[in-house]
Amino acid sequence: MASAAEAIATRKSRKKSSFNFLGFIGRLFMYLILIIGAIICLFPFFWMVSTALMTLGETINRKLFPEVPQWINFVDAWKQAKFGKYFLNSVLTTLGTLTGLLFTSILAGYAFGRVKFAGKNFLFAIFLATMMIPASVTLIPNYMIIRGNVIPLPGGSWINSYWALTVPFMANAFSIFLLKQFFAQIPHELWDAARIDGCDHLRFLIQIVLPISKAPVMTVVLFGFTFAWNSFAWPLLVTTKDTWRPLMVGLWTFVTEAGPETHLLMAGAVISLVPVLIVYFITQKQFTQGIATTGLKG
Amino acid sequence: MTENSIVSSHTKSGGMKWIKIKEQITGYLFILPALIIIGVFGLFPIGYSFYMSLFNWQVTKGPFIGLKNYEKIIGDWMGLLIFLAGLVLLVIAYWVWGKAFKPTANGGLITKLLGAILLIGGGVLFLTGWGKMYDIGNKDFLKSLIVTLYYALGTVPTEIIIGMVLAYILYQNIKGKEIFRMIFFLPYVTPTVSTAIVFQIIFSSRPTSFANMIIRAIGMDPLKWRFESKPITQLLGWNIEGFFAGPSLALITIIIFGIWTYIGYNSVIFLAGLGNISKEIYEAAEIDGASKSGMFRFITIPLLSPVTFYLSLVAFIGTFKAFNHIYVLRVPSAQDSVITASIEIFDRFYKANQYGAATAQAIVLFLVILGLTLVQNKLMGERVFYG
Repeated sequence: MASAAEAIATRKSRKKSSFNFLGFIGRLFMYLILIIGAIICLFPFFWMVSTALMTLGETINRKLFPEVPQWINFVDAWKQAKFGKYFLNSVLTTLGTLTGLLFTSILAGYAFGRVKFAGKNFLFAIFLATMMIPASVTLIPNYMIIRGNVIPLPGGSWINSYWALTVPFMANAFSIFLLKQFFAQIPHELWDAARIDGCDHLRFLIQIVLPISKAPVMTVVLFGFTFAWNSFAWPLLVTTKDTWRPLMVGLWTFVTEAGPETHLLMAGAVISLVPVLIVYFITQKQFTQGIATTGLKG
Repeated sequence: MTENSIVSSHTKSGGMKWIKIKEQITGYLFILPALIIIGVFGLFPIGYSFYMSLFNWQVTKGPFIGLKNYEKIIGDWMGLLIFLAGLVLLVIAYWVWGKAFKPTANGGLITKLLGAILLIGGGVLFLTGWGKMYDIGNKDFLKSLIVTLYYALGTVPTEIIIGMVLAYILYQNIKGKEIFRMIFFLPYVTPTVSTAIVFQIIFSSRPTSFANMIIRAIGMDPLKWRFESKPITQLLGWNIEGFFAGPSLALITIIIFGIWTYIGYNSVIFLAGLGNISKEIYEAAEIDGASKSGMFRFITIPLLSPVTFYLSLVAFIGTFKAFNHIYVLRVPSAQDSVITASIEIFDRFYKANQYGAATAQAIVLFLVILGLTLVQNKLMGERVFYG
């Protein structure tokens, strides 16, 4: 009897230990995949930074690290290669676009979510349909509009202007959709109470709705920010002088105009990442959650 | 406030009306700014695009030429008709096969046979029609559609599988889960142009480029990467021509970039999807003695299918819109092997100044995307399991 019980006990423990061993191998394997994935994701950034710190000679006879980090490259890129100027253009364009985007989408999101008006669903469906249309279709007519060929614009043509870079992106269906979803969930009791106190829609929106809507508004800001900061094809079209060039176009034209000064190009690329990384690291959680929830509901 | 009270009191009903009218006005005023911008830069361009495509429009408006621009793309209307007929037959064949393989179907053999005939017939028509179009039509544009298809087939499935695996691993009790997720997501948030120019350097044709250092380490000769216009099958020494020769190495390089960018995005969304699957299902399966891999196959994958469906739809349509990184990574020596539809349209407009032809191509692309979305919705929608 005793030996049988012992046998069962040892078998149990052996089973347990072998299970743990397999589990350990499995976990090790999982971490291995994750670490390889992380290295692949990070490697281009490492390459960018290390190249940005090299001399021109080192970029040609490639090593992994520069012998002496050339911090001066960033100064050269900022001043000589004009990345400082482009940076400023990008910042102004992004801020302008965001301001307009917030204004239009908060108002429209509120109207679609909480105000009753005729043709609401129809208009909303049309707005949503614009999300399906590829940029290739709208690009050419928009270029004609900005050139002032279709409708008269204040100041004639908007080519090489702040307006061309900002106005077309000051509203999009996605942001409106995102805010509408949130605004519509706010309990009706809140609105009833506010209305009894003599509140109209605009005051209710500013004083009550917006303070509790920080998360979705933040998501709109983040998406709007990355979209405006990363935009490339449109600014390439509507800017012909480098005074209006944003960073992405600046980086691209640097390759064709300045030739193989790879270290300065990479320094410019690093400069272009800095604002994105700062915003991303601060709002990291909100960003990924925003994408996850909108991704699933969209 | 009920209807009775409105009817009974005249003044009250006037007040209600005023409130309702005010509500209407508020609604319209609130959407007005967005409506103006979306109307002018989002809706109007669709109509105007079509309008432009009817003219011989080169920088300035030329004479009205009707559907000539479309004719130049398609080449042969008869070819298009045959092509579309083939497409319809293929869809019917799919439907018949779906019926035939249902366990309850009677007379399975006949339906299977019918399905097979339809499939072959559809395929033949499809290819003949395409051949006719390709012979006379605009080769630049039609070829760009094939390149786009290569790009889509190269990126979407890989992206989704890797994204799902990473999300599944992250969902286990992993230390540093947040950090890994943040790192995987980095390529998606950083500007494409900035990261694409790094890929330009990593995948340059120099013998000392990083990509060439890697393949030299495993004993291969240096390759031309972004500059290589030859299909990969020919590089491997096989002698295949036409569609099945596959994408060029230059396009593969761009595909690698595309995968690199979107893996993190996919895994974040998969992770959210995994979070929505209730733990109780797994617990119940564990009690029934299911293995880890069995649970992954029979619980996780089916319950994730709505997410997979959503992601593949968005990614597939996204490949037809993809522009920035392809524009940055392409070089003239890769020739037309890297020119996707959106790039071709941009070039026709920006470089060749053929506005009319470019807008016609854009409209055709739009119709293709629309059609693909509908088909994909139908085909995959049936296989999706909505828990």
